[in-house]
Amino acid sequence: MTTSAALATPPQVTAHQMQVARAIAPHLVDTPLAVHARRLALWIGLSAVFVALCIGVDMTPAAFAKGLSKLADFMGGMFPPNAAGGEVRILQALAATFAMAVAGTFLGVLGAIPLGLLGAKTFVSNEALHFLIRRSFDVFRAIPALVWALILIVAFGLGPFGGVIALALTDIPRIAKLYAEAIENSDPRPQEGIRATGGQRRAAIRFGLLPEVLPVMASQSLYMLESNFRNAAILGIVGAGGIGFELEERIRIFAFDQVAWIVIAYVICVMALDYVSENIRSKLVHG
Amino acid sequence: MPHQDILKSQLVREFEAQRRVTLLRQRTQQIVVLIGFSALIAVSFHVSGFFSGSQGSDPWGRIANLLDIMMPDLKPEALFENRTTAGSLSSWFYDMPTWLALLWETVQIAIVATLFGIFGGFWASLLASKNLSPSPYIYWLTRRTLEVIRTLPDLIVALILVAAFGVGPLPGVIAIALGTMASLGKLYSEANEAADMRPVEAVKAVGGSWWAQVRFGVLPQVLPHYASYGLLRLEINVGGAAALGVVGAGGIGIELSRAITYTEFDTYFALLILIIGLIILIDLVSEAIRHRLIGLEATA
Repeated sequence: MTTSAALATPPQVTAHQMQVARAIAPHLVDTPLAVHARRLALWIGLSAVFVALCIGVDMTPAAFAKGLSKLADFMGGMFPPNAAGGEVRILQALAATFAMAVAGTFLGVLGAIPLGLLGAKTFVSNEALHFLIRRSFDVFRAIPALVWALILIVAFGLGPFGGVIALALTDIPRIAKLYAEAIENSDPRPQEGIRATGGQRRAAIRFGLLPEVLPVMASQSLYMLESNFRNAAILGIVGAGGIGFELEERIRIFAFDQVAWIVIAYVICVMALDYVSENIRSKLVHG
Repeated sequence: MPHQDILKSQLVREFEAQRRVTLLRQRTQQIVVLIGFSALIAVSFHVSGFFSGSQGSDPWGRIANLLDIMMPDLKPEALFENRTTAGSLSSWFYDMPTWLALLWETVQIAIVATLFGIFGGFWASLLASKNLSPSPYIYWLTRRTLEVIRTLPDLIVALILVAAFGVGPLPGVIAIALGTMASLGKLYSEANEAADMRPVEAVKAVGGSWWAQVRFGVLPQVLPHYASYGLLRLEINVGGAAALGVVGAGGIGIELSRAITYTEFDTYFALLILIIGLIILIDLVSEAIRHRLIGLEATA
């Protein structure tokens, strides 16, 4: 009873107590002026940099307001979503985009397996070489699929072929990095056990390493498929066909009700794929 | 004891029969999965026109040809001559001032978009963490909204925004900021949910408001994670911003698509080198900052 009452009303600090506290440790009671000034200067400096950057990218209230009012118009035009008789065509384009993603992921996985082995410390133990290989994965990982697609479409002509190659090229360093990490993180003891009982290196890989890393690698490949479905949708913009092409066409003629229909269909497909893939992945990893 | 022997052998037989059935079922399952998988791959390659000749007659020849036309005609004796001399480095990188300005714009887009993304992701994460969200409905709604935004690629959003805001970096910034907000919102909410709740309860017990609980209970624990996720995202966004220009949303991408339109493939190669250089630079800077942050965390 008394404790709860004490908790409900914290004891009041008297002016005298405050004076004593100030006398003992002034910097704990009041923030020194120098600290205040430094903080203020830091905030002003950072804000100035931020504002300069914003102006550098045209992020001014005027430009923002102008664009937003137009965007609101577009949004208004989006309802009700309407395929304008193009349902079959759009769904076919979605299927083609998914096919591109599957083909690209498959080629990416094929290309990434040898590179993943090369990138794993277990196989390439030379410190400098290992660093170099992994760093190059990091660098090429950051190049967007669109950048590859632009030039490959020139080489192979309009159509999904260049897009598939672009997806594979984007994936190879990403998957290779994931594979290399999976191999490095694997438990060395099963392999040592097989070697100790007289097994060859090949047997050690087949029965010691693969059973452990294969589910992880499969799960990462599925994850890449999810990401490629998104990437493949973009490639239509530069001429690889599929849903990106349909979308760009409609945006260009300001047919936003059709844009909305495509976007909704696309979001549902992506979420369905993510859902299925997530379920398979958790089964793979947790048995 | 013959009776027991009979029983034993019967048990063994039963076991083996059962094992055979299990193995068979497993084998059938594997074969079904394999066939299904192969069919999926085959259909995908077919639909994507991989082998149907859409790539032209001689794909390897085309790749070789592409690599050939991407190579600049450098002459060793004229390597360091001025821009107007054919075969010099500066005639290859002939529009360097413009490209550097566009690279800087790319970085600016990435930084501003990441900052806004971090800000938006922080607020979204508070609503989307089970332990901090003001109500389960808001929690559910925020999570679903973030999921929907995450399904949309930056460039698709940018495409729509370019139509509204006009050609320039602003639509690019908004598109990347939205994507960053959605992915950081998820990562941050996971960090929030993993935070120790005892400091939060302590602040609550002395009568702290919701904001005080977040500010003094949660933030000190999760800030290092926030910063390191944010920096990782900055690295990704620099790559993303490099592609934005292709749809007219600012940055170096506009030169990439210009080089393709004017069939200047050696210029494309030069731009690719510049983009890779930029990515390496950002990587190094961000890594240095991250290591310092981790060091701070270790000493704190």
